Amino acid sequence: MSEKKLTDWRQHAQKLEAEINKVVVGQQSPIRLITTAIFSRGHVLLEGDVGVGKTTLLRAFTRCIGGGYQRIEGTIDLMPNDLVYHTYLGEDGKPHVSPGPLLMSGENLSVFFFNEINRARPQVHSLLLRVMAERTLSAFNKEYHFPHMLVFADRNQVEKEETFEIPSAARDRFMMEIPILVPDDNAIMESLVFDTKFHNVDALVDSIQADVLQFDQLNEFSALLQARVDASPTLRQYALNLWRATKTPSDYGVKVSGVDMNRLVLAGASPRGMSMMMRAARVNAWLNNRDSVLPEDIHAVFHSTVAHRLVFSPVYEMRRTEIARELLSGIVNAVAAP
Amino acid sequence: MNTLIKPVHISLISLVLFLSASLGLANDEPSPEIPEGVVKLTKVDPARNVGYLMGDILDRTITLEVKKPYKLIETTLPIVGYEHRYQGQVSGIELRKISHTKKESNTSTVYVVQLSYQVFATAPTVKPALLPAEIVKFQGPSTSEAKDGLVQYRIPEFYFRSSPMAVFGAVKIEDDMSPLRQPLLLQAYPVKQKLVACLIILGLSLLGLLYIVGARAWLPLMGKPFAKAVRQTRKLSPKDADALKTALLSMHQAFNTSAKYSVFSDNIAEFIAQKSSFKTIEAEMRQFFALSHQVFFETHNASSDEAKSLNWVKSFGKQCRDCERGLKPAKQNKA
Repeated sequence: MSEKKLTDWRQHAQKLEAEINKVVVGQQSPIRLITTAIFSRGHVLLEGDVGVGKTTLLRAFTRCIGGGYQRIEGTIDLMPNDLVYHTYLGEDGKPHVSPGPLLMSGENLSVFFFNEINRARPQVHSLLLRVMAERTLSAFNKEYHFPHMLVFADRNQVEKEETFEIPSAARDRFMMEIPILVPDDNAIMESLVFDTKFHNVDALVDSIQADVLQFDQLNEFSALLQARVDASPTLRQYALNLWRATKTPSDYGVKVSGVDMNRLVLAGASPRGMSMMMRAARVNAWLNNRDSVLPEDIHAVFHSTVAHRLVFSPVYEMRRTEIARELLSGIVNAVAAP
Repeated sequence: MNTLIKPVHISLISLVLFLSASLGLANDEPSPEIPEGVVKLTKVDPARNVGYLMGDILDRTITLEVKKPYKLIETTLPIVGYEHRYQGQVSGIELRKISHTKKESNTSTVYVVQLSYQVFATAPTVKPALLPAEIVKFQGPSTSEAKDGLVQYRIPEFYFRSSPMAVFGAVKIEDDMSPLRQPLLLQAYPVKQKLVACLIILGLSLLGLLYIVGARAWLPLMGKPFAKAVRQTRKLSPKDADALKTALLSMHQAFNTSAKYSVFSDNIAEFIAQKSSFKTIEAEMRQFFALSHQVFFETHNASSDEAKSLNWVKSFGKQCRDCERGLKPAKQNKA
C-alpha cells in the first residue's frame, strides 16, 4: 500500500514540476529544489536580483499546493503585530480587530509568502523564528497552530539600503536558500522578453493547474517518505564527514582562494541543518525513484541546505555567496564516499 | 708556595713514585723462563721472507696455549710505536698494530696475538732484517726460581730480507729509455675491482632512487593509481570476506587519486573532460558506480553473485589502467 502511495505521490510531484516549468522557464534546478523542500516540509528562501521571477515562481508553487495562501510585503515599518492582526474603523464607526495574514486562513494556511524579507525589522524576524520552528503563534490569549504551513520568502541581494541582515538563527530555520539566476540560454532569454504570455504575471500564474497536491496530506506523506527511504551506514558516515568538514575545512585540505582557512569558519552547519539536509536528500532519492539515499542525492541539496547556515568571520561576510560556493564545492571534492 | 707543601704530602708523593718505579722494574727486569711444556706456541709468519720495501706491512699471528694456572700479564705485550733496537741501533721495524684475544678452557688458556709491523728501513742493497723477538710475562705459582711467580716467555723473531727501493748506481734513466720497454704499470686489478664494486653500488642506488621517485613502483607506469588498484585487486578471491567491497574501494581510491578530487557518478563527465582517454569506457564507469551504489548504499538491493561482480571489477580495473597508460582498453562483458 505504502509502495503505491510513494508511486502516486511521485507522479503528483512530477506533475507539479511540469506545471511550474510551463510558466517559469529555465529554472529546472530551483524548481526541483523547491519541490524537494515542499515534500521535506521545509521553508524556502529565494535569493536573486530584481525581476528574475522569484515571486512568480513562489506564486506558481502556491497555486499548485492549494490550501490557504497569505502574502506580506517586507517594509521597514512593518511590525510583528501587522502579521497577527489589523485594526480598522468599521461601517458602524466603531474600532474593529480582524486577523492578520498569519491567522486569516487558520489551520489551513499552507503557504505564507514573505516578499522582500530583508526589508522587515529584526522584531518581525524574531516573530517569524517561532512561527517557522514551531508552527504555532500565541495571540488573543489563544494558541494558533499552522501544521501545514510553509514559509516561502525572497530577498533581493543587490539592494542594501533600508534592509536588515537576516540573523543566522533565522537563516537556520530555512531548509533551503536557493539562488535564482537569469537563464543564459538565448532562446529562453528571447522568449522571456518577446513572448507576451510572460508579460501578465497574474494570467500566467492562473494558467497552471491549481491544487496539484493535497496540502493537508503532505505532512503524513512526508513522514512515510522519510521512513521508507533508507540511509546505509556508509552513507551516514559520509554525511558525518561532510558535517565535520563544514566545521574544520582545513582538516580536509579544503582551500578557498584568497581566504585564510583557519579564520574563515566561525560555526559550521548546525545539527538541525544537517538533519534538514538528510531529509531533503531522502526526498531527492524518492523523486529519482530510489529507496536508498546516495551521495549524489546529498550533493543535489548540499549547497542549498548548508551554504546559508555557515557563519563566517565578519571580514569574509561581504563575499559570502562566492566563498560559500567555493567552500562547499571544495568539501564535496575533498570528502570521499565510500 | 713551598710552605703550602706539607711533609705529609711529600711522603705520599714519594711513596707513589717508589711503588710505580718498583712495578716498572718488575716488568722490565728479566724473570726466569717459564717451565718447559707450559706454553705451546703456534705462529703464522708472513708468507715470504724476501723482497720487502720501505712501507710494507708484515703480519704475524702468535697463538700461545698456556696451561693453568699461568696467566698472561697483558701489560707485558709490546706496545704500538715502540722502536725496536738491534745492537743499540734503531732497526727500522716498527710495531704498527697489536690486538689479542683470550679463550679459556678447563686446563689451559689460549691467547691469540695479532701483530702488524711496518718496515721503515731502507738500504742501497738487500739487507737482513727481523721482526723482533717479543718477551711476554706470565703470572704463575711461586717456585724456588721465581718467588713472586713471574716467569717469561720469548716469542721467537722472524728473519727476512729488506730490499732497496732502487739498485744503487745501477739505474740511470737517461740510459734506459728503450722504446721497446713498456712503461711500468701500476697493479690495476684491485683498483678495477673497487671500481666495479662502486659502479654496482651506484647502479643499485640509482635503481632505489628511481623506485622512490616513481612512487615505489619499479616501472614509471606502475606507480599510477589504476595500476596500483589492479595490483591490489588481483589477489582478491571471492572467498575473502568483503572482497568485492575491498575491490570497489581500491577503484574508488584510484579514481579520486587520479582526478585529485572525489569522483562520483554525478561528475563522471567532468572526469572525462579532464582525462579524455577514459571516454571509451564511460559506459563501464557508469556501470561501476551503479555497482558501487548497490554494494555500499542500496544494501538491500545488493547483487547475490559477488564472484561475478568481483571479476567484473577486476577487468574494469585493467581497462582503467589501459586508459591511464594511453592504450585502447579491451571490451568486456556486463557484470
